Amino acid sequence: MLNEALIKTLTQNCAPIRPLAHPAKRALVWFTVSLCYVAIVVAFMGIRPDFLSKVADPQFATEVAAAFLTSVVAAAGAFSAGCPARPIWERFAAGIFLFVWVGALAVGCWRDVDAFGVSGLLSHSDIDCLPTILAISIPAALLILSMVKRGAPIAPFVTIGLAALASTALAAGALRLSFRQDAAVSVCIWQFGSVILLTGIASLFGRVLLHWTMRDELIASFQAHRR
Amino acid sequence: MASAQDGDQAAYGELLSDLFPVLRRFVMRRWPNAHDAEDVVQEILVSIHTVRQTYDRGRPFIPWLMTIAARRVADAARTRYARANETAVDVLPETFHGDGAKSDQEARDDREALRQALAILPVGQRQAIELIKIQGLSLNEASRVTGKSVGSLKVGIHRAVKAMRRALEGNG
Repeated sequence: MLNEALIKTLTQNCAPIRPLAHPAKRALVWFTVSLCYVAIVVAFMGIRPDFLSKVADPQFATEVAAAFLTSVVAAAGAFSAGCPARPIWERFAAGIFLFVWVGALAVGCWRDVDAFGVSGLLSHSDIDCLPTILAISIPAALLILSMVKRGAPIAPFVTIGLAALASTALAAGALRLSFRQDAAVSVCIWQFGSVILLTGIASLFGRVLLHWTMRDELIASFQAHRR
Repeated sequence: MASAQDGDQAAYGELLSDLFPVLRRFVMRRWPNAHDAEDVVQEILVSIHTVRQTYDRGRPFIPWLMTIAARRVADAARTRYARANETAVDVLPETFHGDGAKSDQEARDDREALRQALAILPVGQRQAIELIKIQGLSLNEASRVTGKSVGSLKVGIHRAVKAMRRALEGNG
């Protein structure tokens, strides 16, 4: 009897609904909007004076491109994780660009050792990177959070982790265009490290940020009526 | 499901009715010891309803359905397991008003007196007491069930409690 009542209620609440677009398409929308925001932030902070010469450096160009590609592919992975039964590899595709990013940083470290010896690997503290990346990534993170909440919370930790990776990688890429910090080890520890740290912390809040609350209230109401 | 996304209520109702036995079998197979399999199936149906926008028409329906079902069964198992591990609070000390401090005969007498006090209430007041004080519904839920306003239910309960108290004092 209650089952019939539940089905009847759900049927009555079956308003036409627009299916979610493909995760890649949603990721591109998010990335385009966030990139516009990041461009404004970089313009506000000022582009690094040696930008043109740095862009011509393959190591730097690969590093920045890998950061931005990690961002957009991680966003697609986050949206994919909210769509039941999508291929699992989509969630981990960002790992390829993350690997390229680490590779570019490793090449930078190698070059520093070659040019300055082992002393080139000595890093000075650049703790400012952490709050800067956090501050730049917050608006992009809020936007992607509102978008992933439209999906199903079937893998909350992975979804939030990927969303955080997308936002922080974007912020780290933007930081490279603005800050003149070229010691590869410092970039590796303070910028890439901040991205990984913030991603890890955010993913711990997966179940807090993505849950079935509304649904549970509705279910509780039905079950109270049965009792 | 594609028709449901377009707002076709008949097709959606038919789909949910067809899914119910399938999901019940799925829950029982995944979680044979579930005492509340029906509740879990209901949770799955509501979850399907609330995330129906995530269904991609270009992809098969069954894997989509079963991914949600598996997730909800796991959530339900975790919730029930956590609840089972909760430490029960100590039983409150018995008082002379509690059934535990009375003889079986006295407890039976109390219940009978309450039943009689309830029986003399007008239908509306009795329904309010049954729904809110006995079944434990909230005022809003009782309002939806009876069609009465929350204010009217509050007044009904207040009058009913006064009338029952008078009746019990008269018996005592």
